[in-house]
Amino acid sequence: MASKAVTSSRTWFTSAPLGAPKSFKGPIPSASPAKAPLLSSSIRASVIGGKVSARTSFTARPGSVVQQRFYAARPSVSAIGANENPFAPPKDQEAYKAKDYDENGSRTFAYFMMGTYSFIGAAAAKNLVTNYLVHFSASADVLALAKVEVDMASIPEGKNAVIKWRGKPVFVRHRTEDEIAEANSVQMSELRDPETDADRTKKPEWLVMMGVCTHLGCVPIGEAGEYGGWFCPCHGSHYDISGRIRKGPAPLNLEIPQYDFNEGEGKIVIG
Amino acid sequence: MALTTSVYNLFFRRSSSFMFTVFAGAFVFEAAFDTVADGAWDYMNRGRQWKDIRHKYINAAPAEESE
Repeated sequence: MASKAVTSSRTWFTSAPLGAPKSFKGPIPSASPAKAPLLSSSIRASVIGGKVSARTSFTARPGSVVQQRFYAARPSVSAIGANENPFAPPKDQEAYKAKDYDENGSRTFAYFMMGTYSFIGAAAAKNLVTNYLVHFSASADVLALAKVEVDMASIPEGKNAVIKWRGKPVFVRHRTEDEIAEANSVQMSELRDPETDADRTKKPEWLVMMGVCTHLGCVPIGEAGEYGGWFCPCHGSHYDISGRIRKGPAPLNLEIPQYDFNEGEGKIVIG
Repeated sequence: MALTTSVYNLFFRRSSSFMFTVFAGAFVFEAAFDTVADGAWDYMNRGRQWKDIRHKYINAAPAEESE
């Protein structure tokens, strides 16, 4: 009963057997289909009378014709030879390649894409590892206990140094004689927050103070402003060469942190 | 065709040169990415950063500054 033309072992290409399937348990007409009436005369009469619905025990009788399935591009028999399976995939893929297919170019492109993904991934991985290691660095509460030493020899006269201490900037200025004289010459009545220069320094040459504006906490700029000291760019507070507020919205002089001099090693210890 | 072949032979053919290409590419890519990101940030915040307004305050000051 199977189709003779197909030599493939794939059974789905073969046509189904005629007749009822093996599992069918219903009454099989013993006579040949041509002789046996499809419906008995009594049922036929009932059908005509409208008493019986047209329900059957199976919906479709298996027939001799099963639709064959083809590959999308089936080579012609003349191209493959009569003895070969026409349904097998073609061995020669040339017909399916693009006309401008370039093996070297395709390979280079594939490696190029792989390399691109690789270096993007490598950069991302490097950042990941870096960030992970940074989180092992000293935390803020450890840094808060720290003291900072400043080498006095490293700051020449008339120069500022900004040191980070407890997460905030500290200004250290090695003042010149002129600047000390200027700071001492200011009348207390001119000051918003009266403090003498001697109150603010342990040694007149060294001015050590927090670099945080007393207005809203910005960081003032050194060697700027109308009084030759510091100037806060946020809201325009001017501090003089002793760090005292002279003009602008800030209410207080720049704060003086705890600090000491280590004369033996020539260092200022802040904290 | 000749170009792609020479690129393949130069950068991709050996695993060692492929890895070198990857690491060099990662270095260049990271630098370029950071530059572009910083540039975009600066462009979006132009005129608001200290480096944009620094000249207004620093040049005016040295008149009474005793260096």
